[in-house]
Amino acid sequence: MPGVHLPLVGEVRFNLKNKILFSSLAVVMLVSVGIALVARYILISSLTRELEYRGLGIAHSIADRAAGLILTQDQAQLVSLAFEATTVGERKDLVAHIYILDTELHVLASTFIKPFDDELRTANIIPPGQSHSIKLLNTFDEPTYDVAVPVKEGIYSVGSVHVGLSKEHIDQIVGKLRMAFLGFIAGIFLIMTFISERLSRHITRPIHQLIRLSQEISRDNLDVRMEFGGRVGDEVIQLANAFEDMVKHIKEYRTELRRSQQKYRSLFHSGPDPIFVLDCETLSVLDANPIALETYGYNKIELLGVSFQDLSPEFVDACHPTFSMEDKDSQAGCMFLPKVINYKRGGEAFYVNIHACATTYEEKPAIIVSTNDIQDMIEKDAQLIQASKMKSLGEMSAGMAHEINQPLNAIKLGSEYLHLIAAREGDIPRDSLKKVTAEISRQVDRASEIITTLREFGRKADLTKEKMEITKPIKGVFNILGQQLALSNIEVVFHLAPELPRILAHNNRLEQVLFNLVTNARDAILAKETAWIKEGKDVEQLERVLRITSFARNGRVGLQVSDTGTGIPQSVLDKIFEPFYTTKETGKGMGLGLAISYGIVKDYQGDITVESVPGEGATFTMTFPAVP
Amino acid sequence: MRILLIDDERPTLDMMQLFLEAYGYEILTAENGEEGVAMYQRERPEVVITDIKMPGMDGIEVLTRIKALDPVTEVVVVTGHGDMDLAIQALNLNAADFINKPVQKDALEAALRRAQERISRHLGAENRVSMEDRGPVTVLEIQGNITSRSETVLQDAYNSLIASEKQRVVLKLQETATINGAGIALLTQLLMEGARKGMKAGITGISDNFRRVFEVVGVTRFATLYEGEEEAVEALSRL
Repeated sequence: MPGVHLPLVGEVRFNLKNKILFSSLAVVMLVSVGIALVARYILISSLTRELEYRGLGIAHSIADRAAGLILTQDQAQLVSLAFEATTVGERKDLVAHIYILDTELHVLASTFIKPFDDELRTANIIPPGQSHSIKLLNTFDEPTYDVAVPVKEGIYSVGSVHVGLSKEHIDQIVGKLRMAFLGFIAGIFLIMTFISERLSRHITRPIHQLIRLSQEISRDNLDVRMEFGGRVGDEVIQLANAFEDMVKHIKEYRTELRRSQQKYRSLFHSGPDPIFVLDCETLSVLDANPIALETYGYNKIELLGVSFQDLSPEFVDACHPTFSMEDKDSQAGCMFLPKVINYKRGGEAFYVNIHACATTYEEKPAIIVSTNDIQDMIEKDAQLIQASKMKSLGEMSAGMAHEINQPLNAIKLGSEYLHLIAAREGDIPRDSLKKVTAEISRQVDRASEIITTLREFGRKADLTKEKMEITKPIKGVFNILGQQLALSNIEVVFHLAPELPRILAHNNRLEQVLFNLVTNARDAILAKETAWIKEGKDVEQLERVLRITSFARNGRVGLQVSDTGTGIPQSVLDKIFEPFYTTKETGKGMGLGLAISYGIVKDYQGDITVESVPGEGATFTMTFPAVP
Repeated sequence: MRILLIDDERPTLDMMQLFLEAYGYEILTAENGEEGVAMYQRERPEVVITDIKMPGMDGIEVLTRIKALDPVTEVVVVTGHGDMDLAIQALNLNAADFINKPVQKDALEAALRRAQERISRHLGAENRVSMEDRGPVTVLEIQGNITSRSETVLQDAYNSLIASEKQRVVLKLQETATINGAGIALLTQLLMEGARKGMKAGITGISDNFRRVFEVVGVTRFATLYEGEEEAVEALSRL
């Protein structure tokens, strides 16, 4: 599972288990501290107060019994009363000292065994109107709470009783209480720790299993089992079940993927057409199937890493716009290149159609290129083109004979003249001799030019296209057809633009296309003438014009052949480039001319269209991409 | 003798002019049909040599126009090599003769000689037929051009041949004689009828041009062509 990072157990300290544990402990801790604070406040203050009340109780009981004794000034009884009071029950630890003062602050009795500190007499005087007074005093370096109550006889105050409560004792009691409380909280804390640890372990155990499982999956091991000890139904188990389902699906997809990969691999290996995988940037070969090796004559080790430029220079030139690295969107695209020359190992050239699509190969962008050997088809095509050319040549043999007869005739007459004069042993006038010899030479040139044109026309086209001017084939075609058109009284009008961009094509084949269009135009005009004669119209009025126009627009270069013939019915226009479709009567044309012309034009990324007004004529327009 | 040359090819006109001037003819030239007919009307030359295939007005039309202006004018048409259909079409329109391109000196000379003789003898449409017995073979000499007007004379001769019950005949044509389409048809018909009746026929005295025409139209199926009279008589005697 690329792209998903699964944490390993123990790798992260705050895993789920610890989080649950720590958070529950923190909650327990907070609650405990809160309780402790509240309890301390309530307990300690109430305890202190309780003890003070006890101190007050003691003081009051002494004061009740001491009133008489103070009035009688019985100091001995008062002292025994004070000591008695300190020894009753457990007061011994609580009560640090007791002393009794009269209204003049004279010490009537005290439990001190040391001399009475005079400062104590004035240390805690009961303010007037108060029933008691409690103050923290330091008696002999021992902190005590001094509880003072007045001794009353009737409504008169006769003295005061001071009970010193030992602060140390109180603090000890409080300390004991605190210790007990802390021990209780510590116990709860330990229990909670144990419980939450078990709880978090219980929650996280299936999750740990899931983690381990994912790790196994990421190591490509899909044969894993999960055991949750009979737990059913809770959320984690549901998650685990969903996970298990997912693993099952992944397994199925894996199997499916493997099967599909195997299928494609076998297609790649046993496919009838060469397939290459190219690096998107360098266009070097990353992989190739056996038929590619066989077709191109390489062995695998040689071919890997070879630039595809060596095999198909034209593809490399053409593919950059489609698979450019800058434009990532276009990488999704596919391209088709028809009739491209490729080279085998020894440099032998052959034609292929190329399909190329962007793909991913070992996680890098790549281009998958399939080539389809169409050498046989091209050869058949060439044969067909050649056959149609030969047929054209046959068709025009009569015209050609006439054409060659003209110069031959002049040559013959000139030489007969020379022969005649020579036979008479007469002198040839210098002017005549010059004229005749010059004319003979000129006519021989003319004849040989016709023959050259014919030979050029009959020749098979070369493998490679040439940069040529679109008007170039016009010369050849009108060398052959010009006189015939003139003899058929057809006027040829040229509108040739000067300085047109050049196109990439074969002159020879374009001649054939043009030848076909011009003869069709001628036949259309002659057919119109025949029709007019039949209808009894005045043939003198018949317009017999063939227009050849060249032009350049929108980066394309065009040639137009337009005639004033019979025209083509609308219903036929769509079918006119189909093979074996002909408007001529049976036996007068195979109907291959336009189909072959169409094929030739398409080979040069050209376009051929036809427009026609029936009865007015037809216009064929070819356009080709201009080359810089 | 004045000759009008009509051809759309300037070089041909020039060469032909030089060539014919060397023979002492007076030459007029025209580069197309219209100009040729106009010049004919103006100059009235005795002989017209015209190319058949020309842009605009072609040779056939020139021939028609000139024959309409003066039927006696000798019009020689120049045809492309092996263009027999056009040659026969021209002969049907009473062309005096035809020559093939490229023009052979001999053919041109012969055509002009015949034309000149015809003109000087004023052998119009009249035919004279003479019969001569040469053993088992009858030699039938025909003078003058063979045209549709020759029908009566030829039919008479044929009838007398049938009457004589001779089964072998040599048709001896005059060297200067021409034979037009109708004449060829007539001759073919008579020879065919004769052949059906078991007659063996030979023909002599025709030019090379007409030899080709006879072959094309099928005359040679009913009669054999021979170079000279003696040869013909001898060959037929042996049959």
